Amino acid sequence: MPVVITRRDAGAFEAAVGPLYPALIRRLTLVLGDAAAAEDVAQDAYLRAFESWERFDGADVRAWLYTIALRLAFNEQRRHRRWLAAVRRLEPRPWRDSLDPDLQAALGRLEIRTRTALLLSAVDGYTQREIATMLSVPEGTVASWISRGRAALRLDLDDHDRRRGVPDQPPARERQGIATPGAVSRRGPAPPR
Amino acid sequence: MIPEDPDLDTRIAALEARVPLAAAPPVPTRTRGSRRSTIAFVAAPILVLAIAATAIAGAAAAGLIAFGAPGVENPGQPLEGANLECMTPPQAAAYLSARGFTNVVWQVETTAKDLSDPAAAAPPIMTTTPPEHGYVVPGSIVDGELLMVVDQRPGATGTGACADMPMP
Repeated sequence: MPVVITRRDAGAFEAAVGPLYPALIRRLTLVLGDAAAAEDVAQDAYLRAFESWERFDGADVRAWLYTIALRLAFNEQRRHRRWLAAVRRLEPRPWRDSLDPDLQAALGRLEIRTRTALLLSAVDGYTQREIATMLSVPEGTVASWISRGRAALRLDLDDHDRRRGVPDQPPARERQGIATPGAVSRRGPAPPR
Repeated sequence: MIPEDPDLDTRIAALEARVPLAAAPPVPTRTRGSRRSTIAFVAAPILVLAIAATAIAGAAAAGLIAFGAPGVENPGQPLEGANLECMTPPQAAAYLSARGFTNVVWQVETTAKDLSDPAAAAPPIMTTTPPEHGYVVPGSIVDGELLMVVDQRPGATGTGACADMPMP
């Protein structure tokens, strides 16, 4: 539900943007794969958002904040990767999910923009048009990213399940809605390791 | 039309919800007409912490590079024996270019070596243009790019064959 902003002051900023901060950190952690980098970008985005608060059009504050943060994240990713690679003994702070590690790993293997578009669609429910606006790309590109992202995730997860001998594998085409639209897998998260 | 996959979407949402949180948001408050100064005041402790962390990481990183991390000059590496650390950055750039290393990124470290002075810290500058001065610290090849470090920090002493020479 979009938050409509009527008061352009710090109190309104905190009220509208503050509650989104935890979700922003979580989103950036998945996008960047590193909690420390996510916190850095989130903080930067938060302060930039505050600075440009008077220019916010009052429509969808989450989309507005995410747009600022994700663009910062894309810029940060390449520099950050070089830096970490150069100082291999300095460990980043990667987050490991114990409940669904296969999904986390599969998400991490997607290209960053594909992963981002998929998250905006799957978790937030943004339309392709909205995501296209947020990421400054054509709508068709977003559609392609989301479609390929879902397919790659499914194939990746199926490979993991096959290696573990998990039964009940509907054909991939079914799960992608190609042969029988609407068919979905009923498997839940992988068991803790 | 993108096929929906509610089960997958639910799993992704649940995964994201489990990401632990360690940081609180900055608290930007202001009185009318003094936004910038107030946000700077409120954010100052956070920024000082961030700068201190960057200073420590930067110093530690440069130390690791200087003292034994594998690099392109190490035994068995492509530039073994080149002694790039004895060159100025432009000389090293010319040397690399002449040997076909055209994809070079220069990571310029300017962070103060004195960790008691975190205010002097700065993140490294990544550039494809070699800086004019500083100690060259041979880096490594990452994703097809040769990463070269240039140490311009106050108090830096260089490394390898030409350690302790005056800073180029």
